[in-house]
Amino acid sequence: MSTRVAVVGIGQTAYRAAADHLYHEHDYEAARLALADAGLDRGDVDTVITSGWDAVDGRTISDMHTVMSAGGYLKDASHVGEDGIMALAYAYLRLAAGLFDVALVSGHGHAESSFETVSSIVFDPLFVRPLGESHLVSLALQASAYVQGYGISDEQVARVVVKNRRNGAANPSAHLRSAVTAEEVLASAPVCYPLRALHCPPQSVGGVALILGSEEAARRITSKPVWISGIGWAIDSYDLGSKDMTRLGSLAAAAERAYRMSGITDPLEQLDVAEVHDITAFHELMAYEALSLAPEGGAARLLEEGTTDRAGKLPVNSSGGVLCTNLYGAAGLVRAAEAALQLRGEAGPRQVAAPRRALAHGMSAPSGAAARSDCVVVLEGG
Amino acid sequence: MTQEEEIIVIPGRWDLPFRHTAGRVASRFFHGLKAKRILALRCPRCQRVLMPPRPFCERCFQPLDDWVEVGQQGTLEAFTICYARFTGLPDPPYCLILVKLDGADSALQHLLGEVALEDVQSATQRIQIGMRLEALWREEREGGIKDIKYFRPVA
Repeated sequence: MSTRVAVVGIGQTAYRAAADHLYHEHDYEAARLALADAGLDRGDVDTVITSGWDAVDGRTISDMHTVMSAGGYLKDASHVGEDGIMALAYAYLRLAAGLFDVALVSGHGHAESSFETVSSIVFDPLFVRPLGESHLVSLALQASAYVQGYGISDEQVARVVVKNRRNGAANPSAHLRSAVTAEEVLASAPVCYPLRALHCPPQSVGGVALILGSEEAARRITSKPVWISGIGWAIDSYDLGSKDMTRLGSLAAAAERAYRMSGITDPLEQLDVAEVHDITAFHELMAYEALSLAPEGGAARLLEEGTTDRAGKLPVNSSGGVLCTNLYGAAGLVRAAEAALQLRGEAGPRQVAAPRRALAHGMSAPSGAAARSDCVVVLEGG
Repeated sequence: MTQEEEIIVIPGRWDLPFRHTAGRVASRFFHGLKAKRILALRCPRCQRVLMPPRPFCERCFQPLDDWVEVGQQGTLEAFTICYARFTGLPDPPYCLILVKLDGADSALQHLLGEVALEDVQSATQRIQIGMRLEALWREEREGGIKDIKYFRPVA
C-alpha cells in the first residue's frame, strides 16, 4: 500500500515579462520561497525534480543549472523536459513508492526567444515543419475544428477571456493584471484564425516550486497539508490528422484516471475549484468538456450560466489562468500551486469560498502539437 | 552593489545543419509524390488507411506494409489562417489545413491555395470545413511534402 502524499510548501516568484534573471534563478528563488513556506531547509529535501523547455531557455539541455537551483546538489535528482506538472507527477511517484519522504519540484518560464519561433523546430521536419506549422498554428487548427464542429460563436469564446482577465486583475501575482471587454477581444488582431491576440497567452517569466511530503513527513511539517487524492496523465497521437480535433482526448483520459483514483463520479458536484491550462481561450472551453464538467459542445453554456465565474458553483481559473500568466514549461505547475493555495485559504483577493477539493490541469508537453499531453491532479484540504 | 546596474544581454543564434532521414516509409511516400501519386499504408488489424504513412499503427501496434494509393481530392477537416509574422515561419497570410483524402482514414496537413486570405471575414466565408479540395502539383518535384504545391477548392 502506497503512502499518501501532500503538498507542504508553495513558492511562486513575481510573474512578469522581462527576462531580467538567469533562467535558473527563477527556480532558485521559487525553491527558497517554497522551503521558507514549509519551514524547511535544503538538507531536509530527499529528492528533487526540475523541469523546463530547453529551447526557450536558449540552451540544451537546460538542466545544466536547474537541479542546483532547486537545491539538488548531490541528491537524488532529475529534470524533465516537460511542464513542471510532470515533475510533480514523478515526485509524487517517488514518495508514494516509499522511496523518499520529502520532494521539491520546480519549474520556470523564460523568454530568451519568442516561443512561436522556437516552437517550429519541435515539429516534424519531414511532413509538417516545411508547411509553417507552429505551436499556435496547431492550437488554432484544433480551435477551428472545435468552434465549427459545435457552432460556437466568437462572443461565447470572448467570455472566457473576459472572465480570466477579470480574475487576473484581482490577482497580485498575475503577469497581466488588467481586465478586458468582449469588444476588445473581438477587435484584437487576428493571429492564427480563429485565434485573435487576446485569445492567446503572454510569454511570462518567473518560477514556481512545490514541496511534497509523505503522510508522516507532511503531518510533521505543516498543519495545512494539501493531499494529492488523485493524479493521472495521458498522451495522444502526435499526428494531428489521426485524432479528433474537436476534443482534448488526452485530457479526458488523464481526468478519468485522476477521478477514479480520488473517487470522483460527478466532478461538477464534487469539485469546488479548478485551475485549467487555458493555453488559448478555446482550450478552456474544450477542457470543460474533457473534464466532464459539460457535455461535448456544451462548455460555452456552462460559462454563460456563470458556473465557472469566481463566485460560481465551480470557479475555474480564479487566478486568471494561463491567459494572464504563462510560464512556458511551468504553467501547469502554477495551476497546482494556485489550487493548493485555494485549499489552504491563502489565495488572497482571488480566494473562493471555503473549497475542500480542487483540480489542477497542466498540459505536460509545453511545445506539443495541439494540446496532446495532459496531467490532472486532484487536491484535497486537510 | 550600491546601485542598479544595467542587465547585459548577449545576442545568440542557432543555425545548425541537420540531415533528416526519411527512412523506408516516408522515402516511399516522397518518391510517390515525385511521380504524382499519394501513397498510404493500411493497418492489417484496424484496416485504417493511414496518411501520412508511418512504420506502425500506434493504436494496434502492428507493423505496416500494405501500400495503397489514395485520391488526390479530399475533404477539409480543419484550417487556420496565420496572419501574424513570426521569425522562421512563412510570410503571412498562409492557410494551413487538415485534408482527409478520398480513401484515407486520417488527414494530411498541408496548405490551401487560390483563396484570397487577406481579409479574415471573406476568407472564412469562402473556406468551410467539409469543402472539397484537390492537390495541385509542383512542376519541379524533389521528393518532399512540398511536391504538392497546395490544395485548392474543387471548381
